[in-house]
Amino acid sequence: MIRLYLSIRRFTFLLLLFASTMAMAQERAVSGKITSSDDGSAIPGVNIQIKGTSNGTVSDADGNFKINASGNSTLVFSFVGYTSQEVEVGAQSTINVTLQSDITALSEVVVVGYGTQDKKEITGSVVSVDTKSFNKGTISDPALLLQGKVAGLSIYNKGGDPNGSPTIRLRGLSTVGANVQPLVVVDGVLGASLENIDPNDIETINVLKDGSAAAIYGSRGSSGVILITTKRGSKSGGLSVTYNGSVAASTIYKKVPVMSPDDYVAAGGNDLGSRTDWQKQITQTGISNVHNIAVSGGNQTTSFRMSTNIRDVNGIQKTSGWSQINTRANLTHSALEGKLKIDLNMAFTNRNSDLAFPEAFRYAALYNPTAPVRFPSGDYYQAILFDNYNPVAIIEQNKHTGNRKNLNYSAKLDYNVTKDLTWTVNYGQQFDDTSEDTYYSSKSLWTGYGRNGLARKQSSNKSFTLFETYGTYAKAFNNIDASLSAGYSYQQDQYQSLFVELGNFPSDALGTNALQLAGDRISGIANNVNISSSKTPVNKIIAGFARVNLTFDKGIFFNASVRREGSTKLGPDHQWGTFPSVGAGVDLNKYLQMAKVSTLKLRAGYGVTGSLPGPSGLSQDQYNYSLNGGGNVTLAVNGNPDLKWEQKAETNVGVEFGFGKLSGTLDAYTRTIKDFILLRNVPVTQYPSGQRYENAGSLKTPGIELSLNYNDIQFGEFRWTPGLVVSHYKTTLTNFIIDRQVIADFGAPGQNGTYPLLVAVGQPIGQIWGPVFAGVEGNGSPKFADLNGDGKVISNPSDALDPKADMKKLGNGIPTIEAGWSNRISYKKWDLNVFFRAAMGHSLINQFRAFYEPLDPGAINSYNRIKTSNAVAGLTAAQYSSLYVEKADFIKLDNMTIGYTFNTSSSKIKSCRLYLSGQNLLQITKYTGIDPEPALTDTEASGANAVLAPGIDRRNNYYTARTFTFGLNLGF
Amino acid sequence: MRNIKNMKNLLAYSLVTALFVGGSACTNLDEELQDRFTADFKPSNQGVGNKDNVNKAQPSDGLQGAFSKVLDGTAGNGGFFAVQEGGTDEAVITQKGGDWYDGGLYIRMHHHEFSPQTWGINDAWSQSYGGIFQCNTLLDVATTTAPQKAQLRVLRAYFYWRLMDVFGNIPLVVKAGVDVPQSTRAQAYAFIESELLAAIPDLSPGKQEYGRVSQGAAYALLARLYLNAQVYTGTAQYQKCIDAADKVINSGVYSLSPSYSAIFDPKNVENVEHIFVAPFDESTGGGAVWPMMTLHYPSQLTWKFQSQPWNGFSTLEDFYNSYEDADKRKKANFIVGPQFDLSGEIQLLDLAYDKGDPDGAGLNYTPKINMLYPNASRQAGARFGKFSFKVGQKNDADNDFPLLRYSEVLLNKAEAAFRLGDAGTAVTLIDQLRTRAGVGTIAPLTEGKLLAERGRELFVEALRRTDLIRFGVYGNAWWEKQVDPKADVHILMAIPIEQMQASASTAFPLKQNPGY
Repeated sequence: MIRLYLSIRRFTFLLLLFASTMAMAQERAVSGKITSSDDGSAIPGVNIQIKGTSNGTVSDADGNFKINASGNSTLVFSFVGYTSQEVEVGAQSTINVTLQSDITALSEVVVVGYGTQDKKEITGSVVSVDTKSFNKGTISDPALLLQGKVAGLSIYNKGGDPNGSPTIRLRGLSTVGANVQPLVVVDGVLGASLENIDPNDIETINVLKDGSAAAIYGSRGSSGVILITTKRGSKSGGLSVTYNGSVAASTIYKKVPVMSPDDYVAAGGNDLGSRTDWQKQITQTGISNVHNIAVSGGNQTTSFRMSTNIRDVNGIQKTSGWSQINTRANLTHSALEGKLKIDLNMAFTNRNSDLAFPEAFRYAALYNPTAPVRFPSGDYYQAILFDNYNPVAIIEQNKHTGNRKNLNYSAKLDYNVTKDLTWTVNYGQQFDDTSEDTYYSSKSLWTGYGRNGLARKQSSNKSFTLFETYGTYAKAFNNIDASLSAGYSYQQDQYQSLFVELGNFPSDALGTNALQLAGDRISGIANNVNISSSKTPVNKIIAGFARVNLTFDKGIFFNASVRREGSTKLGPDHQWGTFPSVGAGVDLNKYLQMAKVSTLKLRAGYGVTGSLPGPSGLSQDQYNYSLNGGGNVTLAVNGNPDLKWEQKAETNVGVEFGFGKLSGTLDAYTRTIKDFILLRNVPVTQYPSGQRYENAGSLKTPGIELSLNYNDIQFGEFRWTPGLVVSHYKTTLTNFIIDRQVIADFGAPGQNGTYPLLVAVGQPIGQIWGPVFAGVEGNGSPKFADLNGDGKVISNPSDALDPKADMKKLGNGIPTIEAGWSNRISYKKWDLNVFFRAAMGHSLINQFRAFYEPLDPGAINSYNRIKTSNAVAGLTAAQYSSLYVEKADFIKLDNMTIGYTFNTSSSKIKSCRLYLSGQNLLQITKYTGIDPEPALTDTEASGANAVLAPGIDRRNNYYTARTFTFGLNLGF
Repeated sequence: MRNIKNMKNLLAYSLVTALFVGGSACTNLDEELQDRFTADFKPSNQGVGNKDNVNKAQPSDGLQGAFSKVLDGTAGNGGFFAVQEGGTDEAVITQKGGDWYDGGLYIRMHHHEFSPQTWGINDAWSQSYGGIFQCNTLLDVATTTAPQKAQLRVLRAYFYWRLMDVFGNIPLVVKAGVDVPQSTRAQAYAFIESELLAAIPDLSPGKQEYGRVSQGAAYALLARLYLNAQVYTGTAQYQKCIDAADKVINSGVYSLSPSYSAIFDPKNVENVEHIFVAPFDESTGGGAVWPMMTLHYPSQLTWKFQSQPWNGFSTLEDFYNSYEDADKRKKANFIVGPQFDLSGEIQLLDLAYDKGDPDGAGLNYTPKINMLYPNASRQAGARFGKFSFKVGQKNDADNDFPLLRYSEVLLNKAEAAFRLGDAGTAVTLIDQLRTRAGVGTIAPLTEGKLLAERGRELFVEALRRTDLIRFGVYGNAWWEKQVDPKADVHILMAIPIEQMQASASTAFPLKQNPGY
């Protein structure tokens, strides 16, 4: 509470600081009325914004507005269904505006690969999301701005780890290789890191969903492309300053359900006399602060924007959290009479993290609830048991911190060679440095005691360089608008790392800061003096690309592109690949002229993209030198010189429509992935490493996506704009080197060799496979159902592939339906955002239950047990079965935000809004685990084995948090 | 006209740009690895690690890349060790509630419910072929001398013996990276025999260098091969066994160690009995994890181990009781009774003890085990103490593992003589070992007593499965195990499922062993 109080005090101070500066701008009140060109009626709800700033207001029920603006500013009037209009204020104090209704309602310029396109000319599936639609609340990861907002874009952030990052998938699994996450392009720099962007600096995010839109990005486009455009300064003159600040408090939403101390003792637990809620002992109310200040401005030739973002985030585990400063600057200048445009961008982030110990959550769930935290002597209570450590001691005795620095800059030149031809050169670099320090105290029984203090220190750095140059030639011929682009792209990246682990310290006081004190340095045990360093080759991607866009009669659209690309990561004869795309669309409304229909556009596209393996050097044999056995060289990686591109071909058809206030988009697609790259078992008689990367199989995913908007429902000044996105897909393994296999080892204790995920040709990805629970044997073991009725129960995990096995599909880890329902509501000066998100059809294997719910007589003495409504009396042996596979359908009230915009006409502050936001407010689900969100990858596996094994809710989940944010937006 | 001019401009700019980026750099895709050796750094490289052994340096002969492979799967919780000991009458891993169920892996091993997914078989296969690959690679190196080649052929024959004994029908790969079709068990036997015989002339007749082999190893392995010839080929070769054993016995190079426990303790480097060892070392020879495999968690405090043990393996009560109390090997081979901390004064407590356990929380290893599954007591069962522990031991143990030793050669000769009707010679040889153990003569000798004596002497030396099969009793019933109705099939393990799948799409798909 003291921290909360301090935070609020700091916040209030800042508020006062800004209030005292507001008397400085030269402004006056401007008012007017807005009417429609159709019938002269007043239009309420029109957005009136001072250009280049985020300051603005909204017209009232009678179409009237009032705003403070300086004489040299420009007002922008915008409303859906009408053409936006700009009016310079000048000397006017009354500005009445008539808005022209926009029959196409589609004339929006959208950023696409290597350029922009008029939205109506786009023939691929491209979705644009802007600040208005972004998720609200305390959001530090740009991806989470989009969670639930784009049909087909799945973003899941299981649990509430402040140091975690979400899993992002576009249209399901598009590769089993490395880049299952979409390619991110920031202001034209592809491969940029999301880590270096503060959500406050983002203007729009465009998602290129289908192959025809993404093919121009070639080998890195298979998992879709996310294009981020950051906010920029206005050319209309003058300076504007915005401040956004908030303070938030996070509390546990859901923790692991365990026995109460009394239940535990009644079940046979050793009563040690105390009553301790271990989960409460290691958690806190996490208080977070966010401050963003941005200055922007410009004139006809030069504009700029600079911002600084300060975030101090605290998680719900004690000590966990991070603080960061991020700064971003961009400058645009036009020279040579407007022929040359120079665009400079720079961003820097420095984040210090307390990574804490998420493992403590598991120990907190299972620690004896009657044990005291400490002995009367002050020492931590510890019992010598297998995998059982005082969770409070874990987080208090040890230290785990990290630092990350991201820097990127880019320079882009556009030169108008002639009126029709523009030549562009884009050069950018990005550096990501990380370090991580872990120190386990010599008193920490968990880790550290056996080594008399243990220090780990690691660092890594990654560099990325991009050079691209391309020309765009655009020309109208009679009835045809044509545009042709062609260019060259060069990308290179390199990664290196260093890791040191040493133990046996004379004192714990210096932690990881004095590794030279480690006694292990003289013990001569290689395994205790753990040092490793690595460096990848310079990985290069080189490409040439071209695109043509043709528009006939302003109603029929044709796009085609091709990219020829080479990568160092593939076999010498297979480095180059070709990625074509073609698309066509027609504005049917233009030709059919149907009544009440405002938009009707049909489009279809086909495109090929690729995917590369993550590691380098896979085409070459690689030898390892090992100290074991007295120093020897062994073959570590068997190279595959025939390794080639993994290819994805995708066909997408879509219809965009508008009837009155309802508008929407429907897309249907089929994507086929062939030659996917996989680390597979090969005969050891030939390849002694036993594994090799090969092009090993095919996947097929059909899907459908719908988004609907209703703009809007009105009752007087009450206006409600609902929007819905729904998507469905199903990924099937169509071809694979192994017909059937089971993967994803359940793990220790006692359930190694149990593989609950079936991967079989002709079957969907994500099938949870196992025996059906049918009661309890006399000895406490589970009894399983005789599914095939042959009188014999074959249910042993190692029989999973036996045709006679009594096992069946118990669920699927991937949702069948994903949906987001957004609601924007305004009433006078009040605004309200309510957002629900749902996923249905997926199941989760609840591992906490599968390991710790049965009342193992040897464990109940000293370990607490999970207790849910699904527990079965008398069951003592923990063995995986249908008993632990739970349907995890959910609907979440993800966010509700209420804001009030103050009337600022009497002050020098251009805009002022206060809001209160709640995240993860309500969750409706039958799932008994911590979080029903799908587990799209297996967190205890890597590569293909991770992505082919969705649906396992492993035991390392952070507890989910509920967050309340109080914030302020100021403009002056 | 205007358009043409624009196109010219476009071309010109493309060219200028291409030049600016710089000729070949813009299309060069060569990959240079920075942190891995490629083709020019082969297994013949001597490296520097051998001189850093805590125990004793191995020779700097460039052969360690092959010889170090005998460390794999020899004294750990899986691989060849698990296959040879897991389903026998001397070792068991019980299911202790939530611990050690692991998909029924160990229960099925104990019940002889074998399949292509049986515990340890895939590692036993892969690790042996890993060693064979290293041998083949070094045999192809021009600088390898004839005596070195002979050593490598013995080593390769040893790996093939492991594969032939466990799987029977195996590919006999003799060139690195070149796969071949599967051979029959009889072909594999003939190959191993001919390789050993061919190597002998080039091998040293004296004592082997540390971690290497001399003629003694070739003859000792031949003796083992011939002793089992009836099983491997259908034709017994007992006289050949005696002849090969006599080469070792009469060489004068090896003799009985006066102390039984000294053959296996952490300081057992170059014990007089050792003919061929896996040279485990806590610094540079990792892989022996005896205390981890067998001891209960609190026993960490008795020896102050770096890590907490896993509480897995123990011994069957009947096997423990097959030792007379006076037998020195009983004390050497097992850990039983109350357990204390390093000071020897404070009894260790197992706070997760089973409430039905009469010993209560005080840790006490009892030979009696209450059940195989699902709730075996965590304290039950005598533990493996043969490869004894040192105080403060790190994760990897120092105890060298005898892959071939003098006592086994004596027992092999004794058995062959017995089977040829010469019980007198057999008793004399066996009684040498019994005298050392402090017990009386084995006479009158029977087949059953011979098997029991081999068990007592060679406990956990990864020979028990082979012995039980040769005596025809592997499929018999014992504690918590029924008579195996498929005992004839189970003389061979199945080809591992991973290898079946991996080879399916190659030129030589493996054929599964009959009955699986």
